[in-house]
Amino acid sequence: MLSVKKNIPNPLKILLIIGFGYFFWLMLKITFEYIPLKTDVSFLMIKQTEVGQRPEYLYFFYIHVYTSIFVLLSGFLAILRKDFGLKSFHKNAGKIYIFLILFLAAPSGIYMGIFANGGVYSKISFVILGGFWWYSTFKAYQLARHKNFKEHKQWMWRSFALTVSAITLRMWKVIIVYLFHPNPMDVYQIIAWMGWIPNIILIEYLITKKYI
Amino acid sequence: MKILKLTLVSMLTISLVSCKKEAKTTDSSKDSLTVKKDSTVIQEMHKEYYGIYMGDFAGKEMITPEIGEEYEGDVYKKISLKINRITKDSVYGQSIVNGNQRPFRGVFNESTKSFILDEPGNDKTDGRFEVTLNNDSLTGKWNAFNKSAVKAPLKTLKLIKKEFVYNPNFMLNEDSDLIDWENPKDFVEKYTDEETGKTETYTASKNRIASDAVFKINASKQKLTEKDLKNLRKLDMEIIKNSVFARHGYAFKKQTYRNFFEQTDWYIPVSNNVDKDLSPMEKDNVALLNRFIKYAEDKYDSFGR
Repeated sequence: MLSVKKNIPNPLKILLIIGFGYFFWLMLKITFEYIPLKTDVSFLMIKQTEVGQRPEYLYFFYIHVYTSIFVLLSGFLAILRKDFGLKSFHKNAGKIYIFLILFLAAPSGIYMGIFANGGVYSKISFVILGGFWWYSTFKAYQLARHKNFKEHKQWMWRSFALTVSAITLRMWKVIIVYLFHPNPMDVYQIIAWMGWIPNIILIEYLITKKYI
Repeated sequence: MKILKLTLVSMLTISLVSCKKEAKTTDSSKDSLTVKKDSTVIQEMHKEYYGIYMGDFAGKEMITPEIGEEYEGDVYKKISLKINRITKDSVYGQSIVNGNQRPFRGVFNESTKSFILDEPGNDKTDGRFEVTLNNDSLTGKWNAFNKSAVKAPLKTLKLIKKEFVYNPNFMLNEDSDLIDWENPKDFVEKYTDEETGKTETYTASKNRIASDAVFKINASKQKLTEKDLKNLRKLDMEIIKNSVFARHGYAFKKQTYRNFFEQTDWYIPVSNNVDKDLSPMEKDNVALLNRFIKYAEDKYDSFGR
């Protein structure tokens, strides 16, 4: 973030924070659709085959839904790299982020990816996404433990880019549906990849250009 | 020669038998007539005219086009008249137009084979039918009771007798018009004049179009799975669902569905409620379709999955 501070002008930074705030609010509203816990609400309306045939599906699904919103929040707070006057704020936010992804959000995400909508192409995408997500977070954790903070930062940006795919995937969906009105699962196959590939490309670009 | 003889003989017997039959029926009717004198059972008659008569219901209406002036034009609707009961002094039945089912009561004139039928009169679209039977066709006119309440107070009817049968194989014809003309959506589009460089916005309206999935998926014959429906748009699923109801003779209140099913020769609206006629599989499929239609409505274009 130090380099971001240097390179990203303040107005853009503020815009990014406001933008994240707005989309975090939308994600929060989606999360609230699942409170109280129901077996057939929202996304689950079209997932009753899995709900009926696989007793474990609902557990993984709700682990993913309920933890991911905190992953987004803790990840965002940690990536700001400020302590806001609180002792070890960055470190603790990061710990929450890492713990939630490694033990809950990523494994449940990979499981759900195996049964994703949109056929084999979206399944492959979501499983790869989940795998990279877990690996990049784990790597960032190890590097922090070894006090290699330069690389820790780079891997954390990779991890967070994949975290943010939750938002970018849904943004692409709105854009693609607005422009082309394709059938729902045709959209889904596209956004399954569009949600995270451009994000990771952007981060790799910023890393090679030494912005991060 | 022998064969000819045989056929002649057999034909003779057939005609004899049928004569006997006719004689018998007149007999029985005489019997029941005498019965009627004793008790108060009302004798039904001309049961052969009972049934559903369906066809065009045409009237002159003022039409307001999107561009240009109002003009008077013919507006065609589909109507079905159902004759349920004919007695010496009364006729009972119902009419269905635009999914609006109305009972009627009237009289039958045996010599002219004509009916005068009155709807109850407590609906602004009620009126009197004056129709004449000619073999299987029923033609005539309809006059609204309240002439100022309806667009076309005088309408003509050209109906033909139809037999309602439920058949799970009935589908929309493959050459059907699949455009839903009733629910246009406005889109704001931009147009930049290349010469002046000025950008203007205008609204274009677009209509939904169903896909050919509506010819392939039959919710009356196959148990549908989530996989079958996942990639379908809302309109497709609405048509697949309502095909079930159309097969059972449901009288659609929504113009959209009337437009689709009136294109077929099998769709005969007979009832405002067919829920109890659905098979268990059809019920399951309708429930599944309802869930997916709701999902499409809530989620298709929103921020979410």
